[in-house]
Amino acid sequence: MKFETSTEAMLTAVATAGRFTEKRANLPVLSSVFLSAEGNRLLLRATNLECGVEIMIPAKVSEDGVVAIPSSVLLGFLTNARSKQVTGSLSGELLVVETERASASIKTIPHDDFPILPRVSAEKSFTVKSADLSRAIRSVAYCASTSTIKPELQSVLLYSEEGKFTAVATDSFRLAEKTVPLRGGGSVPQLLVPARNAAELMRIVDTIKSEVEIYYNDNQLSTQVENVYFTSRLIDGSFPNYRQIIPKTFSTEAVVLREDVSSSLKSLSIFADKFSQVSLTIDPAKKAVLLSSRNPDVGEQTSTMRATISGDGLTVSFNGRYLADSLQAISGESVRLNSNGAGKPMLIKDAADDSFFYLAMPMNR
Amino acid sequence: MTTTKELWENALVELALTISKPNFNTWFKETHIVRVEDGTVYLGVPSQFARDWLSTKFHKDILRSLRGLSDSVRSIEYIISRGQKKSDEPRHVPAAPSELPLESVHAKTNLNPRFSFNTFVVGPFNELAHAAAQAVVRKPGIAYNPLLIYGPSGLGKTHLAQAIGNHFRINAPDRKIQYVTSEKFSMDYVSSVQSNKVQSFKEKYRQYELLIMDDVQFLAKMEKTKEEFFHLFNYLHDGNKQLVFTSDQHPNMIQNIEDRLQSRFSAGMIVSVTPPDHDSRLAIIRTKALSHGIILPDDVLDYLAATVEGNVRELEGALNLLLIQFELRGGPLTINDAKNLLRGASGSTKKSVSVQEVVKTIAGFYGIEEGSIYEKTRRKEVVRPRQVIMFLLREDFKISFPTIGEKLGGRDHTTVIHSCEKIKNDLTTDSTLSQELHQIRLMLK
Repeated sequence: MKFETSTEAMLTAVATAGRFTEKRANLPVLSSVFLSAEGNRLLLRATNLECGVEIMIPAKVSEDGVVAIPSSVLLGFLTNARSKQVTGSLSGELLVVETERASASIKTIPHDDFPILPRVSAEKSFTVKSADLSRAIRSVAYCASTSTIKPELQSVLLYSEEGKFTAVATDSFRLAEKTVPLRGGGSVPQLLVPARNAAELMRIVDTIKSEVEIYYNDNQLSTQVENVYFTSRLIDGSFPNYRQIIPKTFSTEAVVLREDVSSSLKSLSIFADKFSQVSLTIDPAKKAVLLSSRNPDVGEQTSTMRATISGDGLTVSFNGRYLADSLQAISGESVRLNSNGAGKPMLIKDAADDSFFYLAMPMNR
Repeated sequence: MTTTKELWENALVELALTISKPNFNTWFKETHIVRVEDGTVYLGVPSQFARDWLSTKFHKDILRSLRGLSDSVRSIEYIISRGQKKSDEPRHVPAAPSELPLESVHAKTNLNPRFSFNTFVVGPFNELAHAAAQAVVRKPGIAYNPLLIYGPSGLGKTHLAQAIGNHFRINAPDRKIQYVTSEKFSMDYVSSVQSNKVQSFKEKYRQYELLIMDDVQFLAKMEKTKEEFFHLFNYLHDGNKQLVFTSDQHPNMIQNIEDRLQSRFSAGMIVSVTPPDHDSRLAIIRTKALSHGIILPDDVLDYLAATVEGNVRELEGALNLLLIQFELRGGPLTINDAKNLLRGASGSTKKSVSVQEVVKTIAGFYGIEEGSIYEKTRRKEVVRPRQVIMFLLREDFKISFPTIGEKLGGRDHTTVIHSCEKIKNDLTTDSTLSQELHQIRLMLK
């Protein structure tokens, strides 16, 4: 094997592929990147068996060949290489990587065990703007559960309805939903993408500005974004019917400035107890929303925010982190809080944008 | 013949020797045989990654070891399927926030969406009840009001009552529907009295346009609740609001229930559900099995219907037992498997009781000497128990009239017929007697 390619292209490719390697796998070869030089291109492949990626970069190949090497070592070398071009050649069990100034020999790993990536036929697919897809996933993925008991809750649900593409995630304590336009019609059945993989998909589609076409079958989802092929397995399960728990009418509504809530929550976190409990009061008489937290070992704080309020007054406790999370998906100036009283979930929305909502359960006291 | 599970386990032992440990752990961890058909082994693998890799890399090894164990194996198909679910880990839930009520009962109406007409199996034993429920659905408040469904437990009373509610919940969402058990109703009432909010309790229940109350027989014991129920009943009934009740007995048989309530129940429609016959049981099992996505062989279904008599809930339990085995094994169940599994599992298998035992139990129940039953005495305290014994021997154990007479001290068969008729007649009016019979039947089980 012998190839020469641009350092920058290879660095980007190795950095991306490196995210898909599995450091603690049963199979040692999964911690490596698989390189294959053939024709006039270099192919890099990595997988953790949950999702996988294949990246093609142009290269001058003078001798075909394949090799698997630890991604972290290769990445470390390339990050600090300061030259335009890099060459690689195999010498025995070592891959010799050279730039103008430096040369490294990296021990390879037997590549026979490196798995192939599943391919998804182009029969079923949908198209969205890449920015929309990544925004949809970013708006909800943090809500997915981290517990392995219910794989369907560890996932982001993607589906479409009436030309709208929807992403949803919940850990059963809070739930977020974001809708974006679907391009080119068609409909998408419910696809459950593991949240970690969805985050990777988001990072990959983030690199382009145009539209992206996603292929799927019953078990697998994949896409080709320029020179990168991405694939993830799908969870076989059914997402809870969340629509029925979203309240339609409310007894209290408050509109506050997002910036106010965001900065108050940050300073309140200093005084939060181990459950990060934050108490939220909507006071129609004072026309204000009050946030307070208290930790017997530290002290307590209350912040008052001016608000437009309609309906009854209310005091509820929340996990402050859950409240803060909701704000990261809201970009408008003001936030609308809706509730039906203590003990009932609170609906949080961008006051000027209906495409996103966040539903949080209060804490028991 | 070995089961598919054993076959795969043996194959795995062999494969572990030929394949490196990391490879083995990575690729064979969650595999299982789904089924074997015409020499083709359908191997369930967890993901497409595993499917692609096993079929390109290890196909030969797998085929070789399976062939070595079973000559009939010719080929292998790989399908993506999760095996049995991992046993539930102890669930760690942070104490703080309460959960979103995902997938629970419908909060506003308290109905369980699982109960619908679609999943209700109709047979001769319940077709009247089903027809009455359908009539209520078509003409709520007018057709049969109130509708009271009664019968022993586990025969689908609650299912039918909730199906009515669910029908309206879906087709007329703005109708105010409430499903409540009589126990919940009485607790609501008691707590409203304690907190001085009887008025809001009244208002709450009087707003409903369809009220379904389960197990009304329990109301009989609660004096104050019964009175409140009576007023609620009148209010809703006068407003042509549909009422649906279930009970485990005919209202005339419920003890301690006033005539005014009894007559009000009778004003509408009273229908019974009885235990299903063999064919209906067969139909029920088939529907339930299908809803789990599994088709059982006919002889197994037949065996199940024949052995598990009595209520539908027991039938469901027995079926679940088979289904779990089916999933664990991943292979077809034979009639012998079913026999083995169900031995001892079905609680209500027939038990033969001798006449002496019946006499002993009933004499004990009424506190008289066993011997006096066989004597010619016509003392009142002996006559009644003797008639009850004859009635039960005839009704429950299907012993012929002459034999009963012979066994009970050589009486004429006409005496026995008279006794049975007498008890049967008394039962319609005497609720104490029906309670006694109920208890005796429990003791005899």
